[in-house]
This record gives sequence, structure tokens and C-alpha cells, in this order.
Amino acid sequence: MTNRLVSKILVLDARDEQLQSLSRVCEEQNVIGIAVRKEDLAAALAEHTDLGAVLLAGDYDGSPSANAAIAAQLDALRPELPVIVQLREPSELPAALGQLRARCAADDPQSLRSALDEHVFGVAFPDALVDGIIEITTGRLRSLFPSLDVVAEPPSIVRDRIIFGEAFSLIPLEGNWCRGYMLMQAEEEPLLAMLGGVEASEGDGRRDGEPLNFRELNSVLGELTNLVWGAFKNRFLSEPAAGPQPLVQVPLLINHRHRYISFGSDNPQLCFRYRLSAVGAGTDRDVVIDQRFVFSLNWSPEHFGDNGDDAGSHACGEIDLF
Amino acid sequence: MAKILVVDDSSTVRDEVAGFLRRNGLDVDTAVDGKDGLAKLRANPGVKLVVSDVNMPNMDGLTMVEKIRSELGNASVNVIMLTTESSPAMKERGKAAGVKGWIVKPFRGDAVLETFRKLAG
Repeated sequence: MTNRLVSKILVLDARDEQLQSLSRVCEEQNVIGIAVRKEDLAAALAEHTDLGAVLLAGDYDGSPSANAAIAAQLDALRPELPVIVQLREPSELPAALGQLRARCAADDPQSLRSALDEHVFGVAFPDALVDGIIEITTGRLRSLFPSLDVVAEPPSIVRDRIIFGEAFSLIPLEGNWCRGYMLMQAEEEPLLAMLGGVEASEGDGRRDGEPLNFRELNSVLGELTNLVWGAFKNRFLSEPAAGPQPLVQVPLLINHRHRYISFGSDNPQLCFRYRLSAVGAGTDRDVVIDQRFVFSLNWSPEHFGDNGDDAGSHACGEIDLF
Repeated sequence: MAKILVVDDSSTVRDEVAGFLRRNGLDVDTAVDGKDGLAKLRANPGVKLVVSDVNMPNMDGLTMVEKIRSELGNASVNVIMLTTESSPAMKERGKAAGVKGWIVKPFRGDAVLETFRKLAG
């Protein structure tokens, strides 16, 4: 099975008939379009922190100068998001919008497709990598939480750099075709509640009535990261690097107040989300594990390899006696 | 005196493995990394089986095994690696250091209990 990558974009267009036509293009291009009215823009930006781009109609706010103000606001708030401006005529573009790299012709689906391909899906990720990550991670989640139902959402391209939840782990990935990081992120409260329920029911030796704390959550998230990282390494990074590699590093930058993390490059993040629920418990108790891959230090997919095996000659958990 | 020493930097894994073995009637002690494992083994030479992770801070599991053999001069204790690593090169290094067996995580107690009992006996 091939999991096609999607991306979520805000659609700023006031024309109902245009929205219908856009929704067809979005569907064809694997884009999740979220139409937003002017008065709801700030709230939409606050709510959707995993966007791939913004599509701005040339006449969204009436005048070119008003649109320029919106584009400037978007650029100030989320400069990492490409803003694709839809124009009826190139001359519509006011000077203030001239700095925006992405543009397409209004009412021309092909022009929009090209802009989405270039500015949202510009980095191609091998299908085997995307499918393999889902296979590895769902398998490890099910082994760690055997009583929970695990569902993978469609993988997506994210250009936002906003941290999800309160707890996250970060581990380097080093191979001959990639160098970067994997993040595993979670919201603390629902995960603590779920772990408490799971552990109480399975009896892990914790004293009765003793509440879980964030350190135990950290440990579980750390072990999940370790399991996925090991399997990823065994399956995709088993080829030794050709010759000595320069150990180039760049600082990671985290701003806690703005929940912002930068890996020092403009590369998009490859995002996976897994929904964990107690079987039969309804969706209100779901826990989301957000997993990101950022290949910020090297991305050479032409050397990508998949040995299709994440545990070696023995099945996971079985002993290989020497 | 514990017969089995579980060495892992993850408290989740230590609790899972040690808890499972204790529930099955085995004597278990734990250590948080290779350095701690070496110290615990030095203090308790009666340990018959060490179950250890590979990737740990301060001292990794394979270095710990090499030191068990060279520094402690303990050639008899059985060592099983419980790790996410499965590369042939890593296993070869383990074999050369005197590792008895290799388990790729996640841990499945039922699959290894009888072997652990024999090695700890």
C-alpha cells in the first residue's frame, strides 16, 4: 500500500464559486484546503499549526493594498509558509506583494497545480520511505500499547515550524542518503490520562492510586523514540556511508514562548500522526502522537535504500542464541 | 542475591523487563547504564545472567560486556543483549565480547522466559 502525501493549506478566497473549483484542484493534488473568512484569519492561523502553504486570492480583501497588508501580516507571523497569490492579471500585483515568490493565475487550475507542486511538494520523498515509517511506527506503538487501537492519519508535508504538544523527543538520523532528525511529539494531559488507564489495567507494579507524572511520560516517549529509531536505522540506514563524512552541524533553535523550532534550513518537515484510542472508548480519549522527520543536514534520495527488514534475521522479541 | 541484572537507561524498559521476570519468580536487580551495570556486577558476583541494552549514556552495553570479561575477569556470567540494534557488525562485536544471545526490541517475555530461566540457573 502506498500512502500518498497530503498537505494542509489555508485558502483565503471570498468567492464561493471559486472555492468550489479550488476544492476540485485540492482534491486532485492531495491538498487539504481550509477556506477562511477574513474575520477568522487570526483564529485559523492559531488553530492550524501544521500548514504547508497559504493560498491568497488577489481580491480576497477587496483592494490590492488591503491584500498586501494581509500578505505582510502572514509573512510576519509565519514567514516559513509560502503564500501563493492568485492573480487575474500580473499587473494586479502591488509592489508590496512583489517579494512573494509564489504566484499563479486566477481561474487557471493548471497554474495552481504547478504552484502547489513547486512550493508545497517541491521535495519528493520515496514512497518506500513513507510507507516504511508508518509500518515501523504503528508496529512499535502496538507493541508498546497492546490494548490500544492505533490508526495512522495520512502523512503530510508541513512547512510550519510550530511544536505540537508539550513533550517531544529528538534523535539524530545519520546515513549515506540523509542526515537530520526525528521528533516524536505529544500532548501531555491526554497521554498521561491514557497511560494511567493502560497501566492500571495491565498492572505494571505501580502502587495503587499512585498517579503517573511527566517523568514517566517522558520515559515512555523516549522508549517509543528508541524503538522507532532503531527500526528505522536497521531498515533504511544499514548501508555504511561511503568514506569519511564531514560532521557538519548547525544549531537547532527553540523558542519556548512561541512554541517554535528551527533546524536551520528551509526544508519541509515530513509529518506523520498516529491516533491511539482505547478500543470502544470513543474518540474523546484519543491520544495523538505527532512524528516529524527533518532532513536538514543532507538529503540525497538518489542513494536511498530499503532493505525491507527492521529487525534482522530474527523476529522482534525472539532470542538469537550465539 | 539477585540472579539476573537488567541494564537499560529507559525506566520503562527496566520496569517492564524486571517486573515480568519478578512476576515469574526470578530474582532481579537493575542498573541504569553500562557503568552502573559494571558496578552492580562487581558488588554482586553471584549474578548469573545480565540482560542489557546497547545504546546507553556513560557506557554502552557492548563496552560493559568487554569490561566484564577484561576488568572483572568474569568469564562465566551469561549476557543477553536486548536492543533496537540488529546490524550484523554490532552482533559480531557482541559475539567477540562473549555475548550469549541477542534480542531485538520490543521485549516479549513469553518468548524468552524459559531461556532466561536456564541461563540464570
